[in-house]
Amino acid sequence: MITLENVTKVYGADTLAVDDVSFEVAKGDFIFLVGPSGSGKSTLLRLMSREEVATEGEVWVAGRNVTDMAPSRVPFLRRSLGNIFQDYKLLLNKTVFENVAFALEVIGKPRHVIREQVPFVLDLVGLSDKHERFPNQLSGGEQQRVSIARAFVNRPLIMLADEPTGNLDPTTSEGIVALLQAINETGTTVVMATHDHRVVNMMRRRVIQIDRGVVVRDQERGVYE
Amino acid sequence: MLARIEYALRETWASFRRNLTLTMAAVLTSAIALLLVGATFLIQRAFENLLVQWRGDVAMIVFVRSDASPEQVALIDSTLRAAPSVIDVEKLRYLDKPESYAEAQRIFAGDPVTLSLLTPETIPTQFKVVPLTEDTNLVRSLADQYRTLPGVEAVALAEDEFEVISTLSGFVRTVTLIMSLVLLAVAIGLIWNTIRTAMFARRREIEVMKLVGATNWFIRVPFMLEGLLQGLIGGVVSCLGVWALNSAWTTGVATFQPGTGISSLVVPNGYLSGVMVILLALGAIVGAIGSAIAASRFLDV
Repeated sequence: MITLENVTKVYGADTLAVDDVSFEVAKGDFIFLVGPSGSGKSTLLRLMSREEVATEGEVWVAGRNVTDMAPSRVPFLRRSLGNIFQDYKLLLNKTVFENVAFALEVIGKPRHVIREQVPFVLDLVGLSDKHERFPNQLSGGEQQRVSIARAFVNRPLIMLADEPTGNLDPTTSEGIVALLQAINETGTTVVMATHDHRVVNMMRRRVIQIDRGVVVRDQERGVYE
Repeated sequence: MLARIEYALRETWASFRRNLTLTMAAVLTSAIALLLVGATFLIQRAFENLLVQWRGDVAMIVFVRSDASPEQVALIDSTLRAAPSVIDVEKLRYLDKPESYAEAQRIFAGDPVTLSLLTPETIPTQFKVVPLTEDTNLVRSLADQYRTLPGVEAVALAEDEFEVISTLSGFVRTVTLIMSLVLLAVAIGLIWNTIRTAMFARRREIEVMKLVGATNWFIRVPFMLEGLLQGLIGGVVSCLGVWALNSAWTTGVATFQPGTGISSLVVPNGYLSGVMVILLALGAIVGAIGSAIAASRFLDV
């Protein structure tokens, strides 16, 4: 589902963020990218969603070569991805329902699809009674659930999660990860960058550890260390 | 498809209202710029009315009495042709009664009193003379000579009637053209700035749109429509302005003394409609250019 081949990313003239990284993620996998801040986890996710382009090497996502991709094709790549972030990136002037509907609206989905899919996915993340709330009226965990609903509503092949529990307390974090696991069980590949020990150790899934842009460990059923 | 169109229109309208002050500034500037463009067209056309009889380097017109006999006309013709070193015989043209009458209709368009006195029967016919020489004194002495021929009603010289107006018209054209070009550029700049501000205000939404896979065109279109709409509204306002100006002018000119020449400085209604169409199109183009530049440059937020 995702293949990185000798990928190097240099920012500016000499800031090496990712250094000759290669790994593969099979369809339906759930993997953790772990490592300290600034180790290159986020850069790897951004290379997959093509917010960044690799300086060297090749990135393949969902059967597409992302490195050579024409800018006009990028939106169609993104439609097969769901992105979630530490800061949720919700639109504060829109309700929960509107935030999720927005993701379908801007890719031109007809209204009957929106009316059908949005309540379904909000129900899935456990927010069926909060459609008309605004993000500021929700807890952090609930906001992250909205953002997961928005990422999942278009049924992506891959979910890319960048520190999704970074702002949440341990109990809430567990709930979010459980939700990602449930999504993973529907066949969606999940890549989650985190430095949350508890979550990684609890899940015992594949762990790829990054340090200063280099893969230092790639372990099935790993822990954080 | 319908959902997309609906989305684009809704967003355009929302952004339009949100940014009312800047939008007004952009609309008014384009309106004023376009008004000036329209005025340039109308002034040119009005001057052309006045100058129509002098078109094609004609420097002297010999008017022949409407009751002159064919022999007298022939005599004038041969006299004119007898000076091939001074007069361009090739370009010498004789306007018979219907042709002269048609021309008079344009010259006296805004002067119905004079026009009503002229009929295809009573109108003087005319020889249009293109001199070869630059020497105005020579042309003037020829004119004096032609005035004495039998059947000649009058001889008019371009130098007397034409030069001042021609210079004035050229000057007015240059000034209004430069001013309208500068103002059009300012209008494009203001529309650009309005759209840029609108995009900046919605940068989070744009970020999310890109994230979930909206195409650049989908993101751009509402902004471009907004700019187009601003230009177009500017065009509509300028059309109203041009129409009001022209009506006031035409009414004002009608009270002038007949025969002073000022009264021919009017334009026909058909021409006015043409100018309005041009202004609307120009407004749309100005809006499209300004917003297209903004929308293509500030999408990376």
